[in-house]
This record gives sequence, C-alpha cells and structure tokens, in this order.
Amino acid sequence: MKVSEVMALEAIQPGMKVAEAVVDDGGRVLVPVGAEVTESMLSSLARRDIESIKVEHEVEEDPAAREAHRAVIVSRLDRIFRVAGDTAENRTLYQAVLDHRMENPQ
Amino acid sequence: MTMLNRDQVTARLKQLPSLPSAVSELLASFSNEDVDVEQIARQIARDQGLTARVLRVANSSFYGLQSKIGTINEAVVVLGFRAVRSMVMAVSMNGAFRVDQCHGFDAMAYLRHGVGVGLAARSLAPLANQNAELAFTGGLLHDIGQLVLASNFSTQYAVALEYRKKHDCPLVVAERDILGLDHAEVGGLLAEAWRFPDSLHQAVAHHHAPAGALANSLANVVHVADAFAHAMGFANFNDEMMMAIDRTAWERLGLDGDKCRKAIAEIEHCFEETCQILRS
Repeated sequence: MKVSEVMALEAIQPGMKVAEAVVDDGGRVLVPVGAEVTESMLSSLARRDIESIKVEHEVEEDPAAREAHRAVIVSRLDRIFRVAGDTAENRTLYQAVLDHRMENPQ
Repeated sequence: MTMLNRDQVTARLKQLPSLPSAVSELLASFSNEDVDVEQIARQIARDQGLTARVLRVANSSFYGLQSKIGTINEAVVVLGFRAVRSMVMAVSMNGAFRVDQCHGFDAMAYLRHGVGVGLAARSLAPLANQNAELAFTGGLLHDIGQLVLASNFSTQYAVALEYRKKHDCPLVVAERDILGLDHAEVGGLLAEAWRFPDSLHQAVAHHHAPAGALANSLANVVHVADAFAHAMGFANFNDEMMMAIDRTAWERLGLDGDKCRKAIAEIEHCFEETCQILRS
C-alpha cells in the first residue's frame, strides 16, 4: 500500500517520491512535488536545516495496524461530529474524510 | 452585564482605525468598473509588508507556478487583478485586530480554521459558479466577527468562550446566550462599516444560515466549506465541533462522495504551507 507521510530526513530512503513541494521561507520551490528522492537531495535539504519532508512510499499492509489507525480517526471524527446529527450530507462528508485519512496518514 | 446590542457594536466599529489606503481602494474597486489597476498596484507596492506577503502567496504551491513572481505588477499580469485583490484583502484584514487581551481566544486555531475554510471555499467555488479567489477571501474572513468581538469586547467575549467550553455547545449559541448576538451578525456589521462587496458581506453574515441567502450566494459555498474545515479538524482544537450541514446549501453545490474526496485532497495539499505564509 502506498502512503504519504511527513518523515524525518534520516528515515527517508532514496527512491521514495516527494509528496509535497519543499519551499524555503521566501516561498521558492526547493524540491518539486513528484521528484524522486536522491542522496544529494537529502544532504542539500539537511544543509538548509530542513528536518522532515512529506514523501510517498510503499508499506506492507498490516491489518491490525490499519484497524488501529482507523479507530483513531473514527474517534476523532466522532468527537468533531458529536452534535452534527445523522443526516445524509453529514454522513457523506464524514465518510469522505475517513477515506482520505485512511489513504493519507498524517 | 455582558449583553451587547447592534448600536454598541456599530459605534465601536466606527472607532476602528481605517484600513490601509491600498485595501480601501481595492474594496471600492469591487463596485467600480473603471478601476485604475496600475495605480492600485503601485499603492500595494508601497506597503512593503503587504507586498512581501502577497508575493509569498503568489510563489507558493497555492498557485503552482513554474516561474517566480517578483513584483506586484507581475502578479497582476500573471495571476490577474482579481486574484491579487483577493490575496491582498485576505492577508491584510485579519491583521487589523488585536485579540491578545481576550482570555480563551485561540488566535492560532482561528487562523488555521480560516485558512481551511478559505481553501475549501476555493475548491468548492466552481460547483456554485463562483470565482475561486473571491471564495478563498470569503472563507478566510468568514469568522471576522469573532475578531471584532475578541478585540473590542474582550471581557464579554471571554465570558462567552468560557460558557461555550462549559456547555460544550456551538460557539454561536454561546454568543447569543451571553452577548445577545453572534459573530456572523457582528461580521455583517463590520462588512457594512468597511463597505465589503455584497458577495463577501453575504458570506460573512449568512455563513451559519445560508438557506435564507440566494441560491447563487457565496454564503452557500462558505457554509459548506466551514463544515469541511471542521470535519478535517484543522483548528487542532480538542473541542472542535461541526454543526449540521444545511441541506439547501449542500444541494445547491450538488456534492457527492467523489466530489468531497477530490476537494479534501486539494484542501490538504495547500493547507500547512498557506497557514505558514499567513501567520508570518
């Protein structure tokens, strides 16, 4: 399963894909979204004191971990939706956020 | 006594410092077809802080441009006057209020939620044939009534915030119970005082009751965008609460699961970066 998540530079492997453009304080793009991570990219980011970036990578699916992850998201969503009521539009939005969070762990 | 009335609020709004002249001119340009774009661009450019922030937004992944924009004039040429106008309004208005005296008001949660609603409104705008840039501004400013209350009636507003926390009720309910009016109404008064264009006025004043607004009102977009931002938990606030989505507004946008998921991905893509830019 492919996931996008913010990872510390030390944990990132060459070959992973950059999932969100890396920009400097002036808004200049240092690394565009979709670029493949290389050793030289990692050292250049480290030189700029950037500690983590968002990358996309493959993880082996672990059903138990997935279920635990889902439970965390559901409990957060249930808390936010506690007074919203059980209507079709609230359910649609709830489900869309849940689907998105399952595919894109924060 | 914590109750406020409209006259008190209106009187206080008259004492607010006036907006920077570039911002007033931009507001006036909504109702004036013969606007002198170059002159306004020059005025913006004289305000260095404003210029820097506008250029940071222009060069962020918000627009995803290949080449870099270096001046306000270039921004007008590349992104268009309407985009620059919305951006200037967005980055300048929220900064006009000091809220640090209001106990319990979480300025960071306010900003994060506003950015979430702005991005959601921008994403949903095409579903309602609305201009995406204007929708972003409307979303970012939709709760500006809260800033008016937190900065001008900080003691009373702190009581309302405490009441909301204690009763775990929607903020508008706490505001009505304690102050006798809510932030949408106060935002509407500010929109009148500062002569917001009608579309933004509607978005601010009716975002909690869009069914009463026109079918093509920006209030519909901002109402649903508000729900998106809450559902996505952007405020990072443990008590974050979503109110029921108004079915009329929802149906006016013709939303379904797929459209929601597409919008959510777009919103999240720009969220952290936009927060960072607007915070600094």
